[in-house]
Amino acid sequence: MRDLSKRGRAGWRAATLSTSLLALVGCTGEIGGEDQETGPGPQSTPTNFVCDPDAVPEALPLRRLSHVQYANTIRDLVRYALPSESDAVITAVTPLFDQVPDDARIGPDKHYAGFARLDQAVQQEHIDATYAVANAVGAELVSTPARLEAVVGACATDGDASNDDACLDAFIRSFGERALRRAATDEDVAFYRVPAGSAPFEAADYADAAALLMTSPHALYLVEHGDESEGEHVPLGAYELASRLSYHFWQTLPDEELFAAARSGDLLTEAGYTAQVDRIFADPKTREAVAAFFSDWLENTTLEELDSRAGTPVFEAFAGDFTPGPELRERMLAEVVDAAAWYAFDGAGSYDDLLTSNRSFAKTSDLATIYGVPTWDGAGEPPAFADPARAGLITRAAYTATGSANTRPIMKGVFIRKALLCDDIAPPPPNAAANPPTLSETATTRQVVEELTANSPCNGCHQLQINALGFATENFDALGRVRTEQPIFDEETGASLGALPIDTTSVPRVDDDETLSTGSADLMRLVTESPKPNACFARQYFRFTFGREEDLNRDACALDDVKSKLDDGAPLAEVLRTVALSQAFKKRSFSEEVAP
Amino acid sequence: MKKLGRRMWLRGAGGFALAIPLLPSLLDQKEAKAGGNNRKRFVAMGTNHGAIWQPNMYPVDGSLTQTATYAGHQVRRGALALDVAGGVARLSPVLSASSSVLTSALAAKMNVLRGLDVTFYLAHHRGGHLGNYAENDGNGMDGQATQEHIPTIDQLMAWSPSFYTDLSTILERALVIGGNGMSANWSSPSTKTGEVQNISPENDSLALFNRIFVPEEDPTTVRPPIIDRVLEDYNRLKSSNRRLSAADRQRLDDHIDRLDELQRKINVQVSCGDIEPPTSSSIDEWGSSSYGIDPQAQVRFWQLHNDVIAAAFACDTCRIASMFATDIFSDYVGDWHQDVAHQAHFPDGEDQATISAAHQRFFEGVFLDLAAKLDAIQDVDGTVLDSTLIQWTQESGCATHDPIELPVVTAGSAGGFFTTGNYADYRNLSRPAAQPGPDSAVSSHTGLVYNQWLGNVLQAMGLDPSEYESGGYGGYGKVVLSTEGWYAGYQAYDNAELSVMSEILPFLGA
Repeated sequence: MRDLSKRGRAGWRAATLSTSLLALVGCTGEIGGEDQETGPGPQSTPTNFVCDPDAVPEALPLRRLSHVQYANTIRDLVRYALPSESDAVITAVTPLFDQVPDDARIGPDKHYAGFARLDQAVQQEHIDATYAVANAVGAELVSTPARLEAVVGACATDGDASNDDACLDAFIRSFGERALRRAATDEDVAFYRVPAGSAPFEAADYADAAALLMTSPHALYLVEHGDESEGEHVPLGAYELASRLSYHFWQTLPDEELFAAARSGDLLTEAGYTAQVDRIFADPKTREAVAAFFSDWLENTTLEELDSRAGTPVFEAFAGDFTPGPELRERMLAEVVDAAAWYAFDGAGSYDDLLTSNRSFAKTSDLATIYGVPTWDGAGEPPAFADPARAGLITRAAYTATGSANTRPIMKGVFIRKALLCDDIAPPPPNAAANPPTLSETATTRQVVEELTANSPCNGCHQLQINALGFATENFDALGRVRTEQPIFDEETGASLGALPIDTTSVPRVDDDETLSTGSADLMRLVTESPKPNACFARQYFRFTFGREEDLNRDACALDDVKSKLDDGAPLAEVLRTVALSQAFKKRSFSEEVAP
Repeated sequence: MKKLGRRMWLRGAGGFALAIPLLPSLLDQKEAKAGGNNRKRFVAMGTNHGAIWQPNMYPVDGSLTQTATYAGHQVRRGALALDVAGGVARLSPVLSASSSVLTSALAAKMNVLRGLDVTFYLAHHRGGHLGNYAENDGNGMDGQATQEHIPTIDQLMAWSPSFYTDLSTILERALVIGGNGMSANWSSPSTKTGEVQNISPENDSLALFNRIFVPEEDPTTVRPPIIDRVLEDYNRLKSSNRRLSAADRQRLDDHIDRLDELQRKINVQVSCGDIEPPTSSSIDEWGSSSYGIDPQAQVRFWQLHNDVIAAAFACDTCRIASMFATDIFSDYVGDWHQDVAHQAHFPDGEDQATISAAHQRFFEGVFLDLAAKLDAIQDVDGTVLDSTLIQWTQESGCATHDPIELPVVTAGSAGGFFTTGNYADYRNLSRPAAQPGPDSAVSSHTGLVYNQWLGNVLQAMGLDPSEYESGGYGGYGKVVLSTEGWYAGYQAYDNAELSVMSEILPFLGA
């Protein structure tokens, strides 16, 4: 499915930006109206998860494989069945993957930190497309006698009908174990061989069996019955556990070693399980899943194309001799993910290290130029930022650049408050967006924002929750470059009208306190000293792991497992791996009690 | 290539042409003999923002020559009359086009409706066009409080036996194109159970074409499809003695419901002559690096989809489409949302001129393009456009965020259900909403409830109000009378407006 809202052009902008500014500006009430209650104050994220071992989470419906997981699974099934020609088969069927709907990024906030794994909608296109893919793959796998023999065995092409029954049964057992992600039972074999009828069998009979297996509920969903235990919160069976591990860390089906551990039962032993978790986490495939986690969580969804105003007088004057290209936005966003992945896998860093990092992960000259550092080769030691002002995650270009000549302190503040601290912000008043902050010829952007949000009802949210967080990085311009003063321009011609001094001091109220911050480094120190970011990390990672929103009471144990590691300063790798060791990961609920 | 005697050429965008048979030749002989045609079609077009000043959007007030008292206030009507000069035909600055396209005959098949409101602060949304107001951005307390999703009217009719009385040729019940969020339905549509979820759009016109035109296969060489067995596999799991939660079973029911629909579609036998697939796709246009600021490319993108819709209607493989056009239809460089749409109310008129011109391009290039294409296809009674209702709605009224005076522009009479050629004004002029001032040129009034129009559409498509009305109100969609700001709160609707919502709007009943 071609859902253009996933892409970075006009359609996306219209759909996404139409939401972002407005959701963020203000509080309740009406601008220009009489003073009134300014709505609820800061809604701070809970920072202490009280684990009740007896608490049972709400039962989830069968989890659908995400688009990425499904496509990876089909490709890996092809690689298993026909390793010698898997590339050709995958190339032939890949266009059909486009017909499977993309997953929407979903989360409690409509604008930030939405995860594709939370999109559990099952639409007609899912059914139509997966059916088409399965039939196409089945046909491709046996499209020549050589392929048929490679996939099924010589028994399928030897012209001897007497061995065809055994041949088909063996294929269903072998391919079926991978497609169903559990042992294929006698009942399964009997079921999936029905379309073939009686021997002798032709290639299409094997294709039908393969297609049927790839459309099975066990193929498209994570079917979890649990083991034989009684109760409403039961341990997973070995194959189910193998799938949880592989789909969480690899976004695809188990490999042969993991299947073997499930088949033998070794996965159900503590030592066997831990060994598999360690092996899986060390596999390069895990890096992609972890990157997906950070990409979904930390994407600045309000960042426009950096070249969207190229050619306009003010932007040209502002940009000077730097010309942003059409790829710069994606490169800025990718740099954040590269940073997170580096600390998780290469730099043995902690979450605090990521938050306070002063290293550049710019792989291209345009972004490296903005940072004033050499490009990073993606493998070696990433260079350190030259300017000490650039300190911490929020000073990276992805969060300071805007795509215009104007910075957006409000947007920056809202991102930190919502995505990094998991605080709630009350909705803006109806006409909040009627008078947005614009570039001034006489004032800094900070001054414009301060004046605009000085009065009730805006001041409640803006002064307590939003603006101060964004002011801390006003020493970066709208391309993410360090600045000490804000140049001002004639709004029509772009002619320089001088410059005004930058002020990055503020009271950010990270923990609802009055501590003064002098700028970005100070703010990041306050953030890392707060319990909020670790609690927020735990909540975001829970959503990514379990494909649902957390219940702060019933899921407190799983949340606390991750947060405790973070509080201990554990390396990111250990934190990310820890979730697989939690009881929540190894069990499933059948509780019918719905969360209030 | 087999040639059909009774067919026409549908000239499409991008230089491709579809040879399509005339509809009467596709009709069942018995039906054709009786001259009956109960096929109705519906197309919903939605665009972002709105924010068009009334003088730019609507015909002049002086054209409102007829009055009536309705819902306790005076409503007005005039005939849509074209002003043609210099090769441009004009109903209003936005509703203008080349006189070769916007002809008097086509204008006579249109309606322009003014004075329809959502009863609470909705602001930015995607689902409101078709009744799912909960698909909003959560702006304001109302937006956050209104999060109970309901199916959109295109999906209601798509799964109603009152609309599709015969599915034997229907390969897709409804096409969903453009941005995400305009169309939504139950996860189990036939049973109306499960969760309400957005329908993922398709934006590749070639892929869309391939979904509504499946080449006929030689039955002697085609193996029986395995769909029956797939269905059985899901039923097998559902009925097994293995442990499943209630939610698991609902999920399996949802999937089985979808498999039933796939099975139905697989068994559809369509004969539609020698349709040649288009050679270009909308994605080719979209892939251009300058697409975002190239209004001509954006228009072509949508015209390619119009071609597919017209062909699908002509061949009767689908009768419903929703199109959510999030393009800006302008070469404006910068932040369209913040710098144009949200500043279009300023009295200097600069941004208003920009956004009005963009809407005019959409009207001419997309809305009229489809209307003209459908009007060129012969149906049993008149043209395909005559049996169709195309509606163009905008996200907001004359100011962005403000769901007051939502413009509704239509073409086609839905098979004679609606009168056409009307400019209808339902505002209550004694109830001002936005008032002009130093910072805004917007002047608006509250009127009737947009839900009433949505109910009218459903009735036009054959649905009885008992199929869709709920919550004690007529029409379709949630009613909330809040005290949220903007003006003096959204309590401008009392029993006079709320008690008539099941009725056909004044001047529109045929």
